[in-house]
Amino acid sequence: MQSIASAPNAPLGALRDDGSLDPAHAGALTDELAVALYEHMVLARTVDERLVALQREGVIASHSSAVGEEAAIVGAAAAMLDDDWIFPSAREHAAALWRGMPLAAYAHHVFGTARDATLGHASGDPPFWRAARVASCSPLVGTQIPHAVGVAWAARTRKAAVAALVYFGDGATSSGDFHTGLNFAGVTRAPVVALCRNNGFAVSTPVARQSAPSGLAVKAVAYGLHGVRVDGTDVVAVLSVVRAARDRAVAGGGGTLVEAVIPAVERVDPVERLRRHLEARALWDAAREQRLVAEVAADVERALAEARAADKPAPDTIFDGVLASSTASAPHARAPR
Amino acid sequence: MTTTQMNMVQAINDALRHEMRRDDRVVVLGEDVGKVGGVFRVTQGLWDEFGDDRVIDTPLSEGGIVGTAIGMALYGLVPVPEIQFADFIYPAYDQIVSELAKMRWRSGGEYTAKMVVRTPVGGGIRGGLYHSQSPESLFIHVAGLKVVCPSNPRDAKGLLLASIRDPDPVLFFEPKRIYRAAKGEVPEGEYTVEIGKASVVRPGEHVTVLAWGAMLYEAVAAADEARKQGVECEIVDLRTLWPVDVDTIVASVKKTGRLVVVHEAPKTCGFGAELVALVNERAFVHLEAPPVRVCGYDTPFPYTLEMDYLPLAHRILPAMLETARY
Repeated sequence: MQSIASAPNAPLGALRDDGSLDPAHAGALTDELAVALYEHMVLARTVDERLVALQREGVIASHSSAVGEEAAIVGAAAAMLDDDWIFPSAREHAAALWRGMPLAAYAHHVFGTARDATLGHASGDPPFWRAARVASCSPLVGTQIPHAVGVAWAARTRKAAVAALVYFGDGATSSGDFHTGLNFAGVTRAPVVALCRNNGFAVSTPVARQSAPSGLAVKAVAYGLHGVRVDGTDVVAVLSVVRAARDRAVAGGGGTLVEAVIPAVERVDPVERLRRHLEARALWDAAREQRLVAEVAADVERALAEARAADKPAPDTIFDGVLASSTASAPHARAPR
Repeated sequence: MTTTQMNMVQAINDALRHEMRRDDRVVVLGEDVGKVGGVFRVTQGLWDEFGDDRVIDTPLSEGGIVGTAIGMALYGLVPVPEIQFADFIYPAYDQIVSELAKMRWRSGGEYTAKMVVRTPVGGGIRGGLYHSQSPESLFIHVAGLKVVCPSNPRDAKGLLLASIRDPDPVLFFEPKRIYRAAKGEVPEGEYTVEIGKASVVRPGEHVTVLAWGAMLYEAVAAADEARKQGVECEIVDLRTLWPVDVDTIVASVKKTGRLVVVHEAPKTCGFGAELVALVNERAFVHLEAPPVRVCGYDTPFPYTLEMDYLPLAHRILPAMLETARY
């Protein structure tokens, strides 16, 4: 009797160790896009390092860092088209920034100021950007997966060429919403790309304690989805795999579970990997690097300093948005006692 | 206005059909809601008229039904998911409580997930432990939801039209014991019953009785008996449980000075507790007797002894009389 489960495929890659690019993927990456991805990954790294520092200083309560996962996050976001939707989990603030969320808006969100779009209701939770269909998600693990499937399913029933990308970590594959969401995606053929950042650990718990098979993409088989393993430190491979999955899904070919395999950043740094490629392509040098790092650091510092000094929301804003009409939200909602 | 005699099932079906014809964004989804028309036949005929992109048989997962409906709502549709029995809603509880109820608040109003979750509630149909419960207080306790429970066909249609057009997520509890037993004249076409407005179904001067859904009829039957003994009850059908019509309740208690609350759910932390607290806060000096709750017991819902569990007229009557004579 033959079992379906087998050893996982080696993750797909595009960037070679010497900085050159597998010619099969060369078409995915113009000079302009290569530089834009790199600049954004440096921004993401800088934001994470600063916010982790502020959290350790006790200035902000929490921050979920994505250091080492920039290629998976930014590469996948860059693969989606403007009309597509993106559902982040706790670590994909770089996706909202890629889709156009200004750094200042993100900083106000982090500090929960009066100018935060959530009015300080949900700071510390994933940022959203309505103008570019980056959805509001909670930090609860996996709950956003059915939402992404619902958007994609609705788009499919309305004959719109729209897909949804949903991010989550390896721990989420143990959640009921992962199973439910991917099962619905398979049954409805919703155009969804489910991107799992498999960095081997959910907080402290190793992936072997989440899931028995080695490799998570194999789970796609049982849902009637495509399953792909990709090198999550290789931004070109992620971009290429997610774009292909997105296009196939919109064409009616079904959704995809993408497993982005991400080793510890001490072993492979995705930002350095892309920089080596830019240098090999003569798009980058030490002077440009120095200028970019200084600019990004100054931008991030300015945004955070302004937000840190900004006013808090007025006390009454606690009641805003419970229901559409705040006076209807409860007969005693605003009563001081 | 032309009216037609209907039961609750027909009135709710009429409301769904009316809204689906009026608004292309309205979609129905759930377990067995399509070709077969739902286990109570509430969605019967909708699949034939609107097709399987708008009347959707889903996989058997309540969390998936509500979770994907949230995505549909984000996209711009107006989902009306059906949970086959309220007893089955708990796999969707996280999606309702953590996601649906909080979407507007956590996004500063930039995202909403407006939908109407329909589900049959209550006992008295030999449904037993897992087909009879009344979980309304678990949802009223969660900020961000509206909770509706009609008691008659006219209100059922009017409240469902209002719920589908309301900007907020609504839990629409359908008392299954009176799905076919409650009949009445229902206006054809367009009308709404305002969410948040109770109805004084019988005026009276001695005791205020708050009830909703199937238990309203038990309160009325008990009030008929009380009248024979000289006690006139004012019966208020809450219709909307949240936001509750506190003004109508308080005005009635200020008139009668006495309060009886009836509900099927267990007494402890049931909605009756909140109603009594609201009255105490707002009409304490008008009370002539301690408020009384006549409720389900603090047990799971029993199969064999369900008529002993339910707060039927024979249990409500003594409460009315004792309160009146306190």
